[in-house]
Amino acid sequence: MRRAFALVYGPLLGVTAVVTGAALALIFLVAPEERVMGAVQKLFYIHVPLAFVTFLAVFVLLVGALGYLGTRRPVWDRLARATSEVGWLFCTLVLVTGPIWARPAWGVWWTWEAKLTTTLVLWLLLAGILLARGYATTPEQGARVGAVLGVIAALDVPIIYKAVDWWRGQHPIVFGPGKSDPLAPGMRAAFLVAMLAVTLVFALLVVLRMRLAALEDAIVAAEDAAWRSSS
Amino acid sequence: MEVVVVKSYAFLFWGYLVVWAGIVGYLAFLGARLSRAVRRVEALERRLDSAR
Repeated sequence: MRRAFALVYGPLLGVTAVVTGAALALIFLVAPEERVMGAVQKLFYIHVPLAFVTFLAVFVLLVGALGYLGTRRPVWDRLARATSEVGWLFCTLVLVTGPIWARPAWGVWWTWEAKLTTTLVLWLLLAGILLARGYATTPEQGARVGAVLGVIAALDVPIIYKAVDWWRGQHPIVFGPGKSDPLAPGMRAAFLVAMLAVTLVFALLVVLRMRLAALEDAIVAAEDAAWRSSS
Repeated sequence: MEVVVVKSYAFLFWGYLVVWAGIVGYLAFLGARLSRAVRRVEALERRLDSAR
């Protein structure tokens, strides 16, 4: 595990730094300002990738949760632990950048429309996983409750995705089936590189968090062994 | 029809600042937890070695 971490971490950090630098240069130096929204539209290059990666995090959380519930192997729990925490961070950033864009665009920071409300529900579910794990009496109980809540959180993602279609609302739909590509070439490049950069940042944080989870498991095992050898 | 262009760099600035502050803050928090966990594992290993 330690060797795998050392092999992955260094190159991933380097690639993430380069791609993130390229994304920021494309967003601020190359991508043109949108005709009506002006500078504020550039929040789109960070808000949409953050939302995409939040969905990705919850999908990986679902894989980890189902893997743990099916096999009880700790590696699946570590994956679920890592993605629930990092996913919560990304969901928080989505919920912060959205209102910062909405204030100049809609004139309000927040409105209780379907997409925003269901995203807030996802944030609460992810926060619930972290709290349930924190307050669990044993690591096994925390893993089990976290996995079940992870499956429930995953059910919210298709609801968020389809919220505007099902209930209407103010949230813009930029991409989707039957929609033509709305981005100018300079905007498209910035958006795609920003998407890659945010995905790499997510991967880097998950690798680090999984390393921490492995150390946490090692501490529990060693404390157990120390307690048994002293009694 | 007159098009009103939103010229607010303040919102753009705060948006990106919040994102990077969040990511860097979490990285620092993770780093601190990682180094604390490494120290704890090493201390427990030493304790177990001396007990054997």
